[in-house]
Amino acid sequence: MSDIHHPGRRSVLAAGVASAASLGASWLLSGCTGAASTPVLPAVAAKGAPDRGGTLRIARPPASDAETLDPASALSAYEYLGALYNRLVRVDADGELAPDLAESWEPDSTARTWTFRLRKGVTFHHGRPFTAADAAYTLRHILDKATASPQAAVLAPLVDPERLRTPDAHTLVVPLKSPNAEFPSLLTHYNCYVVPDGSAKSIGRTGIGTGPFKLESFAPAGPGRVTAYRDHWAGAPVLDAIAFYSVADMSARSNALLAGQVDLLSQTNLDFATARVVAASDRATIARVKNAQWYVLPMLTTEKPFTDVRVRQAMKLAYDPEHVVKVALQGAGTAGWDNPVPPSDPVHIPAHPKHDPEQARHLLKKAGQEGLAVDLHTSSYDPLFTPMALAYQDSARRAGIRIRVKTASADSYYTQIWMKKPLMATYWFTGRPVDQLFTQIFRSGSSYNETAWSDKDFDALLDRARAETDDARRRELYGEAQTTVIEKGGAMTPMFADRLVGISRAVRGYAEHGFEFDYLGIGLKGA
Amino acid sequence: MLSFLARRIAAALGTLFLSSVLVFLAVQALPGDVATQVLGKDATPDAVAALRGQLGLDRPAWERYADWIAGATHGDFGTSLVSSRPVGGEVSSYLGNSALIALVTVLFAVTGSVVLGILAGLYRDRWPDHVISTAALVGMSVPEFVVATVLVLCFSVALPWFPAVVLYGPDATVGQLLPAVWLPALALAVVMAAYIVRMTRTSVIDVMAGEFVTTARLKGLSTWRVVTRHALPSALLPTLHVIALNVAWLAGGVAVVENVFNYPGIGKLMLSSVQNRDLPVIQAIALISAVVYVVCNLAADLGAMALNPRLRTRGRTR
Repeated sequence: MSDIHHPGRRSVLAAGVASAASLGASWLLSGCTGAASTPVLPAVAAKGAPDRGGTLRIARPPASDAETLDPASALSAYEYLGALYNRLVRVDADGELAPDLAESWEPDSTARTWTFRLRKGVTFHHGRPFTAADAAYTLRHILDKATASPQAAVLAPLVDPERLRTPDAHTLVVPLKSPNAEFPSLLTHYNCYVVPDGSAKSIGRTGIGTGPFKLESFAPAGPGRVTAYRDHWAGAPVLDAIAFYSVADMSARSNALLAGQVDLLSQTNLDFATARVVAASDRATIARVKNAQWYVLPMLTTEKPFTDVRVRQAMKLAYDPEHVVKVALQGAGTAGWDNPVPPSDPVHIPAHPKHDPEQARHLLKKAGQEGLAVDLHTSSYDPLFTPMALAYQDSARRAGIRIRVKTASADSYYTQIWMKKPLMATYWFTGRPVDQLFTQIFRSGSSYNETAWSDKDFDALLDRARAETDDARRRELYGEAQTTVIEKGGAMTPMFADRLVGISRAVRGYAEHGFEFDYLGIGLKGA
Repeated sequence: MLSFLARRIAAALGTLFLSSVLVFLAVQALPGDVATQVLGKDATPDAVAALRGQLGLDRPAWERYADWIAGATHGDFGTSLVSSRPVGGEVSSYLGNSALIALVTVLFAVTGSVVLGILAGLYRDRWPDHVISTAALVGMSVPEFVVATVLVLCFSVALPWFPAVVLYGPDATVGQLLPAVWLPALALAVVMAAYIVRMTRTSVIDVMAGEFVTTARLKGLSTWRVVTRHALPSALLPTLHVIALNVAWLAGGVAVVENVFNYPGIGKLMLSSVQNRDLPVIQAIALISAVVYVVCNLAADLGAMALNPRLRTRGRTR
């Protein structure tokens, strides 16, 4: 269930069973505890400093029965990565790039060659010092065809593994095939954690990195444990250890939390009913990751009637995102206004066309599509798909658009519906750097381009933005790209949803945003 | 009697053969080309062609079936597409864990519900019967995941007696699993018991109204002796098939319950294999389930023969 990069197929059946089960569970629970009468979900988890020591127990959905600790792999066990490894560059809480193993980085005047100055005095868990050779090896490992890393598709057009240079032990020079002023942001991806030189064969089992915890045990789709690495370059972590447990079923995960068997549910967005039960329990509560999930209604621009840009514009003007947030999210999120860049991203532009059903009607008439009727496919894959679809249907009716909501099997949703049906509901986790977001999901020909949108001007705009070395000017260009996607693209973004994370009341210092998790600072009260 | 036995075993083997064909065909008929389904969104034409070759999908179906069944007969179910380990070994470790639940469930459900069924039958239309029959009806109507959830709420969340979920993987030892076995077993037993209780009750009532029971009573035997020596063997006869079917049902019923408890058994493996489209594992599990069904029914038939003098002696009287 590596839902982190995209809802994959793995969790699908479990999601179907789980939603049936959790429906029963939450109904029963709310009946028992009377939680339904106190529908207030906390906005933040408990504040205050943790005590030193203790073991945090995390329940996580396994990526696969064949999951591995190799960060570059498509089947990496996501939760372990941030604990065991570091990247060169990370993203801070404001969405800006921050130093990790690289202390600083600068491009040449054309953004064709990047130089990273690496941190000194860093050692791997097995005692060897970290050098530029490890950083270069990590990039080569990601680009190696045998690794089949998802991030290779993003980096391969830019980086030639043969041309990486290490002029001294703490400098990495990366010549690019084409100018890219956003290159460091592409290294913040969770496939880019730094591994020791020459470790490709063993890293999947050993997990040797420079991170705040070192591996004690790991079983694919089973339990595992990491312990504090006292010699970590940024200081020792608060906790003594973290125990990871694989629990595939979502309602089983919430039961484990309620019964006090685990302290934190990873990669789990609780549905509202379960979240209320958890919040009402005296063992556990709810923490929120703001705008963590990007919900999309992609229109396939290669299928009628969405081949006509006027129809796409009408579909967007026809509905009110605020209404969708109110109905489908019960307010726990932000209206998207069809802009795929989340509001928390520094380059996000707040400007957008207003909700205008009359104009939508007018556009449809011009396109010869008055009284448009289309199917909108959803499934029980995610608990918010159907509420979102119904809220859209309700809102778009005012523009004379008739939406038929069709529920498809969750099991084959991402093979039979996604990128096949003209209109459907889907989501991504937020946290992608803006260049990667646009290149992977909106650029012509990309394998994740779920609207099959192809616009030469937009592609050229992206190229100009990447090559622009002036930060302010580059932000303007990414702003223009957002406007283009809003006006011409096929993706409707009704909302960004907060992730409702189940967490024990004893946990302190929980901080997670995008693909960043603070393993150093998290701890327990009364540990 | 021997010919009956032979016919019954031949029928069982025929059923197994038919179900193996059906299992094979059903897996072939999964929506979309199998290779495309396995690859999902990474299904480039090159990757699909390579995987089709690797899976042997370019060979005719009957040839693949013959290979598969030939391997299966001596325990070789092929290699898992996900873990690249032999399917046989992988399935058997999960199967062992499920067997633990099944054993506990069968012990409790069968003995418990036969006793309850006899009580209900003997106290027909009096309060013990009403209590037992109503409880059985409720147990029958409520889906197992709801029963499981209620049990977790009561005995893990409210009263912390049992773990809510199993936090270990398939390699867990019996000692690690034992504390976690009781709730899933109880959930399954509740659903299963209902059918057995009702069937036992009905046959006890039937038998107790029979003339031979009246005769036995007239001979002056105690109620206890009448029930255990005379009524029970006849009353158990029709119940036996219900028990067999229910034990066989366990093979599928565990799927949902194991997922609620995160129990590393065959049901959980089945679900994750279906999600991963791990075809060799799905085929192996489906075939093993069919074997369980057939063996349970065969055992019930043989058991019925042992209990029923008419069946047992038919060969001789003719």
